[in-house]
Amino acid sequence: MKYIITILIFFSFQTIGRESGQTEITTDDGIEVFNIEKYYLLKTNVKIISDEYELNADLVKAYFNKDLYDITRIFSDGNATLNSSKGIRASGEKIDFDIVNEDLQIFGKNSQFINNKINMFSDKEIKINNITGNFLINGPNSRLKSDKIDITGYFIKGKFSQIENTNEVELLYVEDKTQINIKTETLDMYALKADYDKKINIIELFDNVKIIRDNELIVGDYAKINTLTESYKVTSKESRKVKALLDKTDE
Amino acid sequence: MYMTYYDLVVKLNSFLRINKKTLLILSIFLITIFFSAIFYKKGDIDKKEENFLSIDPKFDIVNPSFTINNAKEKISVTANKGNFLNHNQIFLKNNVFFKSNNFTLLSDEVTYDKKNQTALSNSPSKFESEGTEIISEGFSITEKGDIILFNGKTTLILKQ
Repeated sequence: MKYIITILIFFSFQTIGRESGQTEITTDDGIEVFNIEKYYLLKTNVKIISDEYELNADLVKAYFNKDLYDITRIFSDGNATLNSSKGIRASGEKIDFDIVNEDLQIFGKNSQFINNKINMFSDKEIKINNITGNFLINGPNSRLKSDKIDITGYFIKGKFSQIENTNEVELLYVEDKTQINIKTETLDMYALKADYDKKINIIELFDNVKIIRDNELIVGDYAKINTLTESYKVTSKESRKVKALLDKTDE
Repeated sequence: MYMTYYDLVVKLNSFLRINKKTLLILSIFLITIFFSAIFYKKGDIDKKEENFLSIDPKFDIVNPSFTINNAKEKISVTANKGNFLNHNQIFLKNNVFFKSNNFTLLSDEVTYDKKNQTALSNSPSKFESEGTEIISEGFSITEKGDIILFNGKTTLILKQ
């Protein structure tokens, strides 16, 4: 009799499945519910599936607000991947996803964030806020790449603005102790620091500046580039001079 | 006068004869009912005892009930039967329910520690709270119910 009851309970339990509007979380090694601290600890091969996103990781800490179903933040550790229905794909060693504030942080080697045409890579951390548009890419091999621009540097910080459903870089600050690189369709720029403001359409380059355009190479200590007209002004410290190298082409 | 007395005796005898018969029938009827009632009752008791024994001859408690008290809530623990494993631990069987104002937790076999107010189960378990459902292969309750650990392959459904 007890076996029949056990089998009935087991099969009645197995009939549950995710419906629209629900979030389903499965684990291989159980769930711990901490009522005082208000979080779930989800262990081994964790899968979270909702209408908005799908998340996989080895270990997940899911914080809830007042009620158990009210998940506010998901911290995933180990082979973390996040795919959203809006086209966002994120992966890294750790992902910290603040659902309420729409804040996403990716940590560890081979961290990456892809949102339609914008790709971010780093071996340390990537932070993006979907509400403010602020982003930060920090650490070795940090890179921001879109179909219009390709930026590398140890520290990349900026802000996106959404224009006609496409994200465009509104503010940008790039820094690296060795070298940063900004590539556009026409310009290839190198320096130790760069600053960009879309409102005034100006990119400023600081220290060890090198600009390559077609067959033209200009070296200096500071450059100011107008992104609309693509005209630029390069200056150098008193001890050094601006160098321009022009390569002859066969006609 | 003699005749009258004789007649009276005959009448009384006949009266007593009738009463004797009636009394005998009545007595037999009453005795039959009495013994039937005793046999019926005895049979019923035997039947009940037989039923108990056929469920599980080893159980110690029928419908055990306990309470876990923590700072936030009271969790009542009920089951169909239980066996004492030692002075503090009770093995609860069949429809083991943990119920508070916030959740219910159902399993078929649970070891409950009444001293430490902890519980452990390795049987399929179902947890339900408002908008939350957890199915697992077992569970353990520690810290007076503040921490619940669901063991093995586990599914959590959140409904908003």
